[in-house]
Amino acid sequence: MTARTIWRCWLALIILLSLTTGLAFVPLGTATLFVSLGIAVTKALIVLLFFMELKASSALVRVFAAAGFFWLMIMIALTTADYTHRTDQRVPLDQVR
Amino acid sequence: MTERTLSFQYSTLQQERETVTLGMWAFLATEVLFFGALIAAYFSYRIWFGAEFIAAAKLTKVALGTANTAVLLTSSACMAMAVTTHEAGARRSPVLWLIATALLGVAFILIKGTEWFLEYQEHLVPALNFDLGRRGGVAEIFFMFYFCATGLHALHLLIGICLVSWLAFAIGTDRLKPGSTARLIGLYWHFVDIVWIFLFPLIYLAGRNG
Repeated sequence: MTARTIWRCWLALIILLSLTTGLAFVPLGTATLFVSLGIAVTKALIVLLFFMELKASSALVRVFAAAGFFWLMIMIALTTADYTHRTDQRVPLDQVR
Repeated sequence: MTERTLSFQYSTLQQERETVTLGMWAFLATEVLFFGALIAAYFSYRIWFGAEFIAAAKLTKVALGTANTAVLLTSSACMAMAVTTHEAGARRSPVLWLIATALLGVAFILIKGTEWFLEYQEHLVPALNFDLGRRGGVAEIFFMFYFCATGLHALHLLIGICLVSWLAFAIGTDRLKPGSTARLIGLYWHFVDIVWIFLFPLIYLAGRNG
């Protein structure tokens, strides 16, 4: 990896950081979460592919790197699917105490 | 200069590099699961408690959080420079880049500590001085998540600062064995950066436009 690549990645990361912070204050409704997560995934990919050199790594290393994130997607997808489809009433926390 | 050799279990540098890189990624996959469970908990709270939970996120210090993200992203670039210059055979520049990385790590912890102190003053620390009457139970759950997530992240960063400082010392005094030690510590440092890349929008940016 060349110094030029590293500082280009850094610049992209800082621009994305400014973008995500700026967009957080724009009224986008429910899209806000997905915009900020989309930018976070882009930033993470820059770090993974260039700083962590997955772009130049062997297929085996890439599979190992992907495995953890793949499992995480399953866990988050199924957990959120469960919670978004619950219909029972939530008892106000402050009354429980 | 003393003669330094590769660890006995490897026959070539290339073999050492492939083996330890794979091992490090296996470890990092377990770390993904560790922080991933925490993030899954965040999503279930956010769905379950809705607006009340998001409103509590607005009590975090977004300016300090954004500054801290910039500090950490810059530290990762410095770490990448350290690994690149070290593998190119330089002696002095990797040490300087590593010192810069460690100092930025310390700056992150100091900014984080300032935030924690401000939150303590605002009675936002669960189990210590949380103002339940004023903020409500859902806000307490948010801050429970906040202190667990940022605390565990800061602990990982502290370990990283120790590793980077040791590496700077080892390279500077020419005690490092040939091999991929610098690259592995780099992978760990970048991973801690990635955890923060995801914690930042979830903690600091939620509910800012509402």
